[in-house]
Amino acid sequence: MNPDFLFFIEVSLAGLGSGALLALTALAYVLIYKATRVVNLAVSEVLMLGGYLFFAFAAGWNFSPWLALPLAIIGGGIVGGIVERGLIRPMLGENPISVFMVTVGLGSILVGLTELMWGADPRTLPAFISTKPLFLGEAYVSRKIAVTFVVAAVAMGIFLALFRFWRGGVALRATATDQAAAYSCGINVPGVFSVAWIVGCATAAGAGVLLGAIGGISTTMGVFGLSALVVVIIGGLDSILGALIGGLALGLIQSWAGTYLGGEYSSVVTFGLLIVAIVIRPFGLFGTHEIERL
Amino acid sequence: MNTTRRMTMGLLAGAASLGLGIGAVQAQDKEIVIGGSLPMTGVFAFAGLAVEKGMQDYISMVNEAGGIDGYTVRLAYEDTGYKVDQSVAVFNKLTSQEDIHLYYGDSTGFAKTIAPELARSGDMIMGGASFASELNDPEAYPYTFIPGPDYSEMLDILLEYIAQETPGASIALINSDTEFGRDPIKPAKAKAEELGLDVVLEIITPPGAVDVSTEVLKLRRARPDYAIFHGYVLAPQPEFISQAKELGLDTKFMGTFWSMDSSLWAGVGEAADGYMGVMPYRYYYDEDGDAPMLAKIREMQPEYVSTGYMQGFLSAMLMVESAKRVLDAGEEMTGANLKAALNSIEDFDTGGIMGLPISVPGNSVPVGRVYQFSASEGKMLPVSDWISVE
Repeated sequence: MNPDFLFFIEVSLAGLGSGALLALTALAYVLIYKATRVVNLAVSEVLMLGGYLFFAFAAGWNFSPWLALPLAIIGGGIVGGIVERGLIRPMLGENPISVFMVTVGLGSILVGLTELMWGADPRTLPAFISTKPLFLGEAYVSRKIAVTFVVAAVAMGIFLALFRFWRGGVALRATATDQAAAYSCGINVPGVFSVAWIVGCATAAGAGVLLGAIGGISTTMGVFGLSALVVVIIGGLDSILGALIGGLALGLIQSWAGTYLGGEYSSVVTFGLLIVAIVIRPFGLFGTHEIERL
Repeated sequence: MNTTRRMTMGLLAGAASLGLGIGAVQAQDKEIVIGGSLPMTGVFAFAGLAVEKGMQDYISMVNEAGGIDGYTVRLAYEDTGYKVDQSVAVFNKLTSQEDIHLYYGDSTGFAKTIAPELARSGDMIMGGASFASELNDPEAYPYTFIPGPDYSEMLDILLEYIAQETPGASIALINSDTEFGRDPIKPAKAKAEELGLDVVLEIITPPGAVDVSTEVLKLRRARPDYAIFHGYVLAPQPEFISQAKELGLDTKFMGTFWSMDSSLWAGVGEAADGYMGVMPYRYYYDEDGDAPMLAKIREMQPEYVSTGYMQGFLSAMLMVESAKRVLDAGEEMTGANLKAALNSIEDFDTGGIMGLPISVPGNSVPVGRVYQFSASEGKMLPVSDWISVE
């Protein structure tokens, strides 16, 4: 194969892999927004917390990484449930900006608590994904990135299927469409809210473990969540498919920009895309037109 | 006028409080306060916490030995979260409450922002966490100092080591897309050319970059003998090194001061083995050479202390030494006098914290040594002599 073309293929595969991680994180935003109409900015910090929980279980208590992983995800879900019940539900009916600001404050609290519990030093997670290089034909792919891609694809597929076929998923869609109508049909709307927060935060925590496996953990790793926020704005705040396609597209574009223009253009391209998306389709490529704008 | 009992009591109370006040003023007069905008939370908290501990330990040592000419030394600081606006607010608050002539700043941004105020007031000198090359200009920053080599000088030390070990070696420069990361690129390229080294690749990674597969692909194409990271603490270096090793690259990876803490690399494991970098200070566990100050540190801190601790410790040492020289000369504590005193430091023994007797001819202390991480020992081990790039 032509070396330049092979290089292009490898760069593209790397972009798709990192895009899948963006998509998985974006999914956490979408799940919560879809059900509750709350833009949860603390997704970034729950992602960070997921990484630290995994670290605590795997490195602190010496659990097998394969036990620590589900425990970290469950931990993220528990945090989501507590936050929804303790902070978000009492805010029902309040101005969306107020609820949004609560999530901003929540993020700061989670960072502070994490620094108190685990300190401020960056750390490395115990290895649980092989580092052996993977070759698709002649093309090199980082194994961690390949694993991330598969995990994100499976999670997306599961959620798409659940929303379409599972009763709970249908209830969530109904709640998202019209809360009063959902109530009148006997749907447990508060329960739906709780489930959305639990599942959304569990997803973020899982993404945090994957992210930490690649780049290590630190209390500032939540910055990654901001890139995922770009994905949901481009893809549509209430669209799982939008998160998937937006994440993969952004990953690819960032990878191409970083390779052929230079790493310094990666952020320029990312936020340039965000501006274009907001101007042309403020509800996102796959979002619902009626979504509330902040 | 008849004095009532109540009036007498009032006068006595007033006199007593005045006396107490005078006493307090006298106590303050015999105190040297080092101010600090320290990043105890946020992205640079790992450094801020260590720096504070290092400064406090040195100050305790000085005070236990009787202070400076009868003056006790105290550190007055507040957390900045590594935000320039907060650092400035802390500076304003502390300087309005205390008589401060020595200050520790947390970042390049803060040092640049506050420099005009230092020049206007002429009250103090300032060191800090920044090793920015731009600050190493006594004309532009007359009251600033760097407690080690600036970032360009760190790269110079690494490049001199490379030129000695592998003449004509090929080099990749890997920098984060931040002010910190971009700092030494241009001078490093000039220095490499001067030393006959070939810079074959420049990689800039976006801030907060996690996945570096794409950059590793570039590295695989260029196959440099050495890759020098700058602008990072830890991530994404381990992933870079790990992927490069798995791809069979023989590239040797290097870093600069803020990524040289051995406890960070100990957590990385086998992939970190062989990682090298420049370090201006001896490590906590260094046993080589004559280093009585390290022995004292080990007495005070039975557990390992990080590189940030050493930086804080030496910063406080240089500040105290400058103040001592000003007091010994019977001069006023002004920025100009303190800076002149700092610049008068020549062949100064740091007790082994730095491996050579140091001088501060300008704004920096251009001395360092190349260390290499041994995964089996979990330590950074010296692989060069101390190098001065004055």
